[in-house]
Amino acid sequence: MKQIKKIAFWLLVLFLLILICLPGIWIFVSAFRPNPEILSKPANWIPDRWTIHQFTQMFSINGYVSVPAFKYLMNSVIISSVSTVIAITIGMMGGYAFARFNFRGKNSIFLSLMLARAVPGISLSLPLFILFAKIGIINTSFGVILVYVAMNVPFTIWLTDGFFRQIPKEMSEVARTDGCTRLQAFWNVELPLAGPGIGAAAIFAFLLSWNEYALASIITRTVHSKTLPIGMMDYLDEFTINWAGMCAIAVVMIIPALILTFIVQKHLVSGLTFGGVKG
Amino acid sequence: MSRKFFSGPFILILPSILAIGFVIIIPLIFSFYTSFTSYKLTRPDSLFNFVGLRNYERLIDNTKFWYAFGRTILFLAVVLNLELLFGLGIALLINKITWGQRTLRTIMMFPMMFSPILVGFQWKYIFNDNIGLLNNFLYLFGYESAIPWLIDKYLAMGSIMVAEIWANTSIFAILLLAGLLGIPRDPIEAARVDGCNSWQVFKNITLPFLMPFIFIALTIRSLDVGRAYDIVHIMTGGGPAMRTELIWTMIARIGYKDANMGFANAMSYVSIILSIAFTYYFFTKLVAARRDLGQQ
Amino acid sequence: MAEVKLKNITKKYGDVIAVQNMNLDIPHNEFLVLVGPSGCGKSTTLRMIAGLEEISGGEIYIGDQVVNEKDPKDRNISMVFQNYALYPHMTVEENLGFSLKIAKEDKEEIETRVKEAVQILGLEELRKRKPSQLSGGQRQRVAMGRAIVRRPDAFLFDEPLSNLDAKLRTQMRTEIKKLHQKLKTTVIYVTHDQVEAMTLADRIVIMKDGVIEQIGTPLELFEKPATKFVATFIGSPSMNMIEAKITNISGELYMETNDGISVLVPKHKINSLAEGQRICFGFRAEDIVPLKFGQKPKNSWSLKSKVNLAEPLGTETLIFTNLGNTEVVSRMFTPELVNSNDDLEFALNLDRTYLFHGDTGLAI
Repeated sequence: MKQIKKIAFWLLVLFLLILICLPGIWIFVSAFRPNPEILSKPANWIPDRWTIHQFTQMFSINGYVSVPAFKYLMNSVIISSVSTVIAITIGMMGGYAFARFNFRGKNSIFLSLMLARAVPGISLSLPLFILFAKIGIINTSFGVILVYVAMNVPFTIWLTDGFFRQIPKEMSEVARTDGCTRLQAFWNVELPLAGPGIGAAAIFAFLLSWNEYALASIITRTVHSKTLPIGMMDYLDEFTINWAGMCAIAVVMIIPALILTFIVQKHLVSGLTFGGVKG
Repeated sequence: MSRKFFSGPFILILPSILAIGFVIIIPLIFSFYTSFTSYKLTRPDSLFNFVGLRNYERLIDNTKFWYAFGRTILFLAVVLNLELLFGLGIALLINKITWGQRTLRTIMMFPMMFSPILVGFQWKYIFNDNIGLLNNFLYLFGYESAIPWLIDKYLAMGSIMVAEIWANTSIFAILLLAGLLGIPRDPIEAARVDGCNSWQVFKNITLPFLMPFIFIALTIRSLDVGRAYDIVHIMTGGGPAMRTELIWTMIARIGYKDANMGFANAMSYVSIILSIAFTYYFFTKLVAARRDLGQQ
Repeated sequence: MAEVKLKNITKKYGDVIAVQNMNLDIPHNEFLVLVGPSGCGKSTTLRMIAGLEEISGGEIYIGDQVVNEKDPKDRNISMVFQNYALYPHMTVEENLGFSLKIAKEDKEEIETRVKEAVQILGLEELRKRKPSQLSGGQRQRVAMGRAIVRRPDAFLFDEPLSNLDAKLRTQMRTEIKKLHQKLKTTVIYVTHDQVEAMTLADRIVIMKDGVIEQIGTPLELFEKPATKFVATFIGSPSMNMIEAKITNISGELYMETNDGISVLVPKHKINSLAEGQRICFGFRAEDIVPLKFGQKPKNSWSLKSKVNLAEPLGTETLIFTNLGNTEVVSRMFTPELVNSNDDLEFALNLDRTYLFHGDTGLAI
């Protein structure tokens, strides 16, 4: 009886693993499959022949470019990195203020910042589109970066607030009795201690920018500023879908995300659970 | 305001407020204004054509909108409940595992990192009636007629829900697992000595301790409900025959395809209030749950 | 209301033996204290009795039933935990009534029993509060109340006072003792604090490395320690202990320390010793006193030595001095001023020295 329970338990775990991993694996396999195989029926579970055709084409290695994926990739990298650095810098300042100071209206300000984050991208995209067009930053990396900074700040505050809260106040107080100014104490003691957590927050911000679609689909118009998720739609036109091409660009998108997740997973959870102002 | 208000913490928060003010607050004020005009993208001068509450009146009279709104609420109710339920189940399952727990936890996180657009594409590919993984799999068992997952008017919504649940259950699982791991051992042992069987321990001790984590997950999750737009947009585009139209895809359609900004903005406000209401509700529940456990 | 019996109880964690072949009979209404240094297996033993820890070997009886395979909930015991383990989401009242609610007692019964516990422990004002709004002592009281309400066969206490400050600890100690007198139930109490053990227990079990060193009443343990470990563990300050070898100097047996100091073997021990044997001899601080301020015992040995340090504590003064190279402590009860570096003559009461085997540590 105990044995049966144990087997059932592990079967359940296995089923779960398959459910989580299979869709991704299927995409991955399809990206390396010759195009005709995708359409074959019954399905060819394991490709007869592996090919990197989609990737060479995407990155125009043989000179012919159907989708300028490399440009999209560069846009994504630049926009995501720059917006992350700025968002983390100013978000961390905010998180520190919420974790270490008591001030009037603290909880309401915190809540308002979080609620600003709740505004759905598509709803925000309408006025942003018009305003950005008016001041001429539509279809620029700068405009997209600006949007992503604002979108990432509230969540960065939530996370860093949690991390700073986990560091005992006495740490900075000791440093200050040792002759540091408050800023030096922050720089030399609290920041290094919160380092891993801030790293996790940064990666979270990076991924949000990396994965965002609704807003970018409106305020980027051309190859000049389009990011990967928008570029992916190039493979999708009214009547046909280039499945293999989309799978390939999906692989390009997901691999950095998976690597980064792997690095931060531990700190991410502790930040999420600790944050959110407790009074 | 006293001078103190402008010192220390205020200066630290100021940049955040400026960024949000410029990118979120100002545009929202602007769109609030346009929701009272007949503004159309194609006719810039209509920006100053003040129509009062007409957009909102039209909204109230618009059955399509109410269908989309009702569908959105239903969608969220189903999806959030199932995610919570599955997440809790998975967390309890993984909590039992001693060997390989960390690895499993990492794997659990992967769907969280998929771009919604990618999730949508992935499931569009799986649910494709012709070449999809699912139909190919059923073919193995003799179901040779292709099931039109994304084209059938009932199946389409279900398929979208599957994609949405796949993408977001892990947030619940991860956070609830963290909650489970953080429960002190003593109250559970005390309850066992006090005469509880395992179900009673779960109901009376484990679950109350998990409440804050459940609401953290729901709060974080409700910040992002609008991202379902991406998934629906790529999987069905609101079709077939608007059967999967949610409030967000309707905004996009009215705003960009029909270029009717004033009307779309009025609708946006409804969607914003919806998101904020969800977030606010769960956040206050979170605060209450923490207070209940004496965590202030 | 029942007795608790342990027969050959063993607990292993992999290869590590936490408790070995433990036998113990606890009669009804006894207050038994398990004491020992941390890691000695006392908490493990208690948790095995509670059913929170599986038993690797042997049998536990509560009443006349073997309870090895029973869940904690079916053993009818109550336990008070070190950090109280109150349910943070329930009020004091709900905490107290929880076990009865689970047992599906009817509402009136729950109410009367909770009321009773609340009165016994003086928690009337706090009934509606949550644990986070209580002080340490109040939480402690609620934890005890939760145990009382169940009317169990036995109370188990796992270091219940160790999170309290010194003053509260003394106060709660008295309360626990009074409670036991009132409730007349078997109590098994684990602590690492020998003072707590001495003041509370009917009988004490001293454990070390998973094995019982000695079982006895507090006075038995103090007066007749069975081993060197028990001798040094019980009593404060710790018993002075000096290694020595038995030598024969012109027909008389002496204990010669490693520094070559010789002390005459007390008369009543002579027959159990042989020349050349390695031993330890111990004496308590009050049995070595400065001659100047005390009475000279009938049978004594005198030591002239310099004072290293004196600690005046009011009713008593502790004087640290050297016997050869070993520091020993003397306790005198007269309020005289002693300074460091004073030269004093001490008298050691030979009738009150304890001798132990050098290798085994067993009393001679």
